[in-house]
Amino acid sequence: MAFDLIFIVRTLVFPGFLFLLVLVLFFDWFERKVAARFQNRMGPSYTGPLGILQPIADYIKLFSKEDITPKQTNKLLFVAAPILAFSLFVFALFYIPIDGSNVVLNSSFEGDLILVLLLVSLANFGIFLSGWASLNPYSGIGATRVLTQFLGYDIPLIILAIGPAFLAKSLSIVNITASQTLPFALLIPWSCVLFVIALQAELEKDPFDIPHAETEIVGGYETEYSGRKLAFIKLSEDFQFLIGAALVTELFLGGSYGPVLFGMPELWHIFWFMVKTIGVVFVLEYVGNVSARLRIDQVVHGNWKLLIPLSILSLALTVIVEPLLRSVIG
Amino acid sequence: MSKFENAVEVLKNNLADAIIEFRVPKPRKAYILLKPERHRDAISLLLKHVEDTELSTITGTDLGNEIELNYHMACGGTVTLKNRVSREKPVVRTITDILPGANLYEREVFDLLGVIFDGHPNLKRLMLPDNWPKGQYPLRRDWEPHANQESGSNSEETSQTESAGEVDDAGSIINVVMGPQHPVLHEPERFTFKVDGERVVDAEMHLGYVHRGIEKAAERMMFFQDVFLVERICGICNAAHTTCFCQAVEDIGNVETPPRALYLRTIIHELNRVHSHLLLLGVAGHLLGFEALFQHVWRDREPIMNIVERITGNRLMSGFNTIGGVRRDIAPSIVEKARKNVEEVTKRAEFYKTVFEEDLTLRLRTEGVGVLSKSDALKFCVEGPVARGSGIAVDVRKDDPYAAYGEIPFNVICYKECDTWARLMVRAEEVLESLDIIDYALSHIPGGRLRVRVQRKIPEGEAVSRVEAPRGELIHYVKSDGTAYPYRVKVRSPTLANLVAFPEIIRGAYIADIPAVIGSLDPCFSCTDRMVFLDTQNGQRWHWSLDEINNSKNRNGLI
Repeated sequence: MAFDLIFIVRTLVFPGFLFLLVLVLFFDWFERKVAARFQNRMGPSYTGPLGILQPIADYIKLFSKEDITPKQTNKLLFVAAPILAFSLFVFALFYIPIDGSNVVLNSSFEGDLILVLLLVSLANFGIFLSGWASLNPYSGIGATRVLTQFLGYDIPLIILAIGPAFLAKSLSIVNITASQTLPFALLIPWSCVLFVIALQAELEKDPFDIPHAETEIVGGYETEYSGRKLAFIKLSEDFQFLIGAALVTELFLGGSYGPVLFGMPELWHIFWFMVKTIGVVFVLEYVGNVSARLRIDQVVHGNWKLLIPLSILSLALTVIVEPLLRSVIG
Repeated sequence: MSKFENAVEVLKNNLADAIIEFRVPKPRKAYILLKPERHRDAISLLLKHVEDTELSTITGTDLGNEIELNYHMACGGTVTLKNRVSREKPVVRTITDILPGANLYEREVFDLLGVIFDGHPNLKRLMLPDNWPKGQYPLRRDWEPHANQESGSNSEETSQTESAGEVDDAGSIINVVMGPQHPVLHEPERFTFKVDGERVVDAEMHLGYVHRGIEKAAERMMFFQDVFLVERICGICNAAHTTCFCQAVEDIGNVETPPRALYLRTIIHELNRVHSHLLLLGVAGHLLGFEALFQHVWRDREPIMNIVERITGNRLMSGFNTIGGVRRDIAPSIVEKARKNVEEVTKRAEFYKTVFEEDLTLRLRTEGVGVLSKSDALKFCVEGPVARGSGIAVDVRKDDPYAAYGEIPFNVICYKECDTWARLMVRAEEVLESLDIIDYALSHIPGGRLRVRVQRKIPEGEAVSRVEAPRGELIHYVKSDGTAYPYRVKVRSPTLANLVAFPEIIRGAYIADIPAVIGSLDPCFSCTDRMVFLDTQNGQRWHWSLDEINNSKNRNGLI
């Protein structure tokens, strides 16, 4: 019985669903605030201290709005796709060790890194389907752009994720994190930089925010959505953002490990995880705010002609210098 | 011999048999009355013999039993070729085959005066709504806005279903409609793009959503009232419109404007240009997904707005020019503050210029995109920064100096790249040039009177006036019949000139290029649509409740 209680609390409250939701809303706020300061604006300021409750207010508003399903859409797909995408992202987050271990205790296994990447890919198909089911020219173009861009950039992302796995000699995220006595970002910076670039494209941040370029295709794949379903799409995007930032933290920055000064190590784990992830979010926002949006053809060319060869090279480089690095780590 | 003198000589020598009347009342302004149907010869001659000749616009005037068509040709000055057709059977040969840039102007005259252009490729409505009754031509003198209540409902067959040319293999081609409401447009117009994947196959535009009937309204107000009316054609370039209109009226009435007024007009006009260009550069950042640039440029536009407010009392609508001079003086303390602001903005403008020059993502998005070659630019008669981005160094301020521009040193910015980047760079550099002009003018204002009193009745006559508005050449044609009310006021704003080229530029581009190209043309649709009283009382009106909207039967009826 006691075991069950821990399981339920860990899944639903901490560090499971509720905590993740709060975390996602916090990052949403942080992202908006950073972007606003870059753009010489205030950003959210009125709801709660420094506007920190603004994302919650926004979601409450969205959930209470009228939910319109256009007549000619494929109803089942139109309704199911956002929920599917959302669920897959939450599921993927459960395999990311936030307080040093997975949400469901002892659920990590050799290969969960691949599972997480797979779930993220599947969730993006959900997003694609949501746009495709809308039967709107803007949504259709947005949806095809999601696929074109995402499928392309998934390849270098996975290739680059192999680098840390190779150094740690494990495909389990927990093991990769645990084996970083020195963060891999210091050992193989080339992989880390390329990973962040590929991630920028996967997360559809400027200069890669092509699937929802508002001045071209209005809302992109989410044009026809409103109310609760739109809220699910927005939440999916926020969750994907957290997964992306968390992956960088886990694979390259040593995850939730850091100096434990006093008290419970678990709290310090969460503290370090947050600090590192916020740092990653800041970098992603920084890049996004100092560049214009590229065009889809440029993005596709950049991927196949530049990023994929470079990521293969970087993997090769990692393999070559591995013995040297191992002697450094000891 | 200047370009203008050359043009006049060419016409005199080669077309002596066709000219009925020939007048050059002011320097660089010629009015030539031709025998019927000889306008094509005259225009061909000018195009052949005078370099960089463009058509400014076509003005139609109802003279009672004839309709006079004025072809305003810009070649150093303005050569106005007059061609008269009978009012009963108004048919005239088109000039679109020799000058494709006349396309929209001929459609406009067809729409508003009912002149049929024989041989025009696409003679359709331009400004009036699709359900406008047949046979109603609002710019004819006997047309009254409220006299036609009955005929409102017997609408012409709607041309809503018009397509952008037939395209084969419609399977993979979808129609993407941008506008009247779309984030790329800040004013309501509709563009229909035929899109194959990410490529634009064809484009068509639909104007007229902000028609206010200003030209007709101008005929019903006195000259001095019209100054405030034309100011409201466009908020951003309001000083350009008032300067242009006042110049035309002063030209007819032979009014000598005092030099101090000319300098003040120049200052306010250039302030307009600076804030208009900064606005556009910011919007370009927004359209290209560079939000930070957008926000920063707009912040740095504020000091300019502050100067305008200090000088005129208003942030935007200056209400500054009047016939015979200007309405307010500028105090020495304001001059000091203004020069300080100008200095501050100059530093920022230099920075933005380097951003547009050097930023990698901006250049990737704008270089080689939306190319408008020099010959095409001449063919479509584009104006202002769009023409200067295509290597045509036209600038009314240099070619046909007005206000104080004859005395102020400045350069005409011209780029030869012909693409979106060049058009944006022209503006970025013109901001600096304009700031220099403002600084020079502020420190060289001559003393003297602000305005001369002008009688309300303006003697009989006509005048063409051109100014270089921020978006390009703006032309006003004013005709007076000796009363206090103008007989005809014609306005052609630069956006209409530049829009002709848009479908050509965009064909074959990517969807993502559409915002970039639209932005680089800097369209201002409110300037463009201005000609007719729209009587909303005529149309049938009804309301739908939310349930009725949700009722699919109703909705299908709409679609």
